[in-house]
Amino acid sequence: MADLEIRDLTVEADGAEILRGVTLDLDKGKTIALMGPNGSGKSTLAYAIAGHPAYDVTGGTITWQGTELNDLTPDERARLGVFLAMQYPVEVPGVSLTNFLRTAVNAVSDEEVPVREFMTRLRTEMSELGVDESFLQRSVNEGFSGGEKKRFEILQAALLRPQLAVLDETDSGLDVDALKTVAEGVNRLRGPDLGVLIITHYTRILRYIDPDEVHVMFEGRLVASGGPELADELEDKGYENLKAGAAT
Amino acid sequence: MNLDALTEDELTDRSDAAGEPSWLRDHRLAAFKRYLDQGWPNSRADEFWRSTPFDRRFTTDRELVDDASTVTAPRSLTDDLEVEVAQARFVDGVVTDITVPTSLAEQGLVVADLATAAAEHEETVAKALGSLTTGDPDGTGANEDRTIAVNDAAWTAGVFIHVPAELEVDAPIGVHIHATRPGAHLPRVLMVVERHAKATLYLEHTSVDGVDALVDEVVEVVAHDGSEVQLATLQSWANEVQHLSLQKVQAHRDATVRTLSVTTGGATVRLRPECDLVGPGAEVRPLGVYFADDGQWFDLQPYVRHIAPQASSDILFKGALQGRSQTVFRGNIFVARDAVGTSTDENNKSLILTEGAHADSTPFLEIECADITAGHGSATGQIDALHLFYLESRGIPREEALRLIVFGFFREVLTELNLPGLEEAALAAIEARVESADLSAFQVNDAGLKDHVDA
Ligand SMILES: Nc1ncnc2c1ncn2[C@@H]1O[C@H](COP(=O)(O)OP(=O)(O)OP(=O)(O)O)[C@@H](O)[C@H]1O
Ligand SMILES: [Mg+2]
Repeated sequence: MADLEIRDLTVEADGAEILRGVTLDLDKGKTIALMGPNGSGKSTLAYAIAGHPAYDVTGGTITWQGTELNDLTPDERARLGVFLAMQYPVEVPGVSLTNFLRTAVNAVSDEEVPVREFMTRLRTEMSELGVDESFLQRSVNEGFSGGEKKRFEILQAALLRPQLAVLDETDSGLDVDALKTVAEGVNRLRGPDLGVLIITHYTRILRYIDPDEVHVMFEGRLVASGGPELADELEDKGYENLKAGAAT
Repeated sequence: MNLDALTEDELTDRSDAAGEPSWLRDHRLAAFKRYLDQGWPNSRADEFWRSTPFDRRFTTDRELVDDASTVTAPRSLTDDLEVEVAQARFVDGVVTDITVPTSLAEQGLVVADLATAAAEHEETVAKALGSLTTGDPDGTGANEDRTIAVNDAAWTAGVFIHVPAELEVDAPIGVHIHATRPGAHLPRVLMVVERHAKATLYLEHTSVDGVDALVDEVVEVVAHDGSEVQLATLQSWANEVQHLSLQKVQAHRDATVRTLSVTTGGATVRLRPECDLVGPGAEVRPLGVYFADDGQWFDLQPYVRHIAPQASSDILFKGALQGRSQTVFRGNIFVARDAVGTSTDENNKSLILTEGAHADSTPFLEIECADITAGHGSATGQIDALHLFYLESRGIPREEALRLIVFGFFREVLTELNLPGLEEAALAAIEARVESADLSAFQVNDAGLKDHVDA
């Protein structure tokens, strides 16, 4: 049995069916890349794993290390080690970044992390990810640039130490240097205890984070899978072949 | 003496018994005439009272309280600061203690009983007292209703604070008003900050649980040229108190004024944090936070009058409501015909936490001058489900996430002033409200959930 098992998953949002039966396995220690055209349902899958309230699972199951996630709240899932780096991180006005991170770290840890230890960890991770100290005074994502938001998502992953990390287009909006920093950040987290599902449109991040498998989503279904070479092929040829295939 | 039936004889006797100078007695008697000339506010007729029914929310048939003989002094916010502070305490209509650190006294800071100061600092006090409540010839002055006139005539405990020119008082000056007896309390605060001086006043209000008191208060602050004044008021009453307060600042040339009213306690609180900008280049930032719980009614009426040109103001009030509570925000900005180059803005945001709470919000602008920039806004909403999801997705349990969001809503305002001990005190007051709340009843607005699709 795989650590993450998604079986025949169907998901609706706002009354419309978006995922039409997705089955996927991911083990800790492995990295899977998920690609596919805009609107195909990649983020929907990511949100369904995290428990976003706008997405209704209408059929199928998501099982993580033997526990079915379907009926768990987002915070319960997070405390089981599930983490989603969002495509569009949310600005939460007034909530101080330091306070937020400390509350989150304490929530996912078995025991409370002493303040000093927490601050040391926080400062270390921030400098590794090139996040300036001045961000400590700011509110969660408020007024962050697109790239800063993405870095902050990875900073959270580094502090929360998840066992399943879903990275939804963490690479988009990053300049060349930022991409490298962020990818290195992700690589520091990788290891036998972390499974990674990385959603992307581009192979450039996959040059840093080499996937074990590549899957392609189209109109709410996984329609192709393969090794890293599949990503290169898609980047060269686009999704036209898929569309042609789906039409017949 | 009953608040509904003041008499000239009693006012005269009291003034004489207190050893007040004759000018002050005459001042009281003049106010008494204005008191006689009008009845209590009529919410049907008076536009400033339209949103709060005076006769249902306030009881005026009460005896004046001025006996603190059996009471132990409460602990004040300024007692807990790590600096030496000047402070005054009023308990049950009596000034019970005043302390001024020697170093500040030597530099000329005065914190004194107002009745005594009326004789000892006659010139300053006589000029300033009542100058902001009774329309003065320059055309400023508050809209005076009977709630003001009654205080002018019959105030019991009063404090006079004088900050001499150029003196910068870094530590806040504390005035703590405490009620332990039912009845009518009429406190009075007069503060004069001379040119290029700097001072911060904390005005703290508390009461003992179960005490049904009416507190009718007038605070006047004169900020002379180039001075810097901060006024923070904490309405931390127990649940029964009815509070009427005019907290008025007059800002002269290039004065910088910042006010913050924190309102969490009381049955009915009607605040008028006002500022008249009478000198060019004056600047005011009126801030407010409030949290109304079941049964509470807060009516907040910040008022800024731009009399002089090139002055600026920016009002921001934020409130949260839960249970069957009511808040009224009626912000007013008046820009006189000659106040060219005015820059003004006014905003109110309400967070409705549970069903049954009502927030009324009307930001008014009354502009007689064309050459200005002005804005105003009002927003009422609920906790955003997307914010909640983001926090929850990081493992933070729902209740804790809700708390973080509510505090975050206020933090924007509270961190702006950076006043020692105040942010903590305000958050603690808010926290006490949130603690008692049924978080599962909080309403969440999920309209924002689709935002990411359009992002
Ligand atoms: N909350 C929602 N309500 C209604 N429709 C939604 C919602 N979320 C997603 N959709 C729709 O579902 C489809 C899939 O959206 P999704 O965000 O999963 O695509 P995606 O594969 O992540 O696309 P992209 O590459 O552009 O990020 C789209 O047509 C989108 O408009
Ligand atoms: Mg997406």
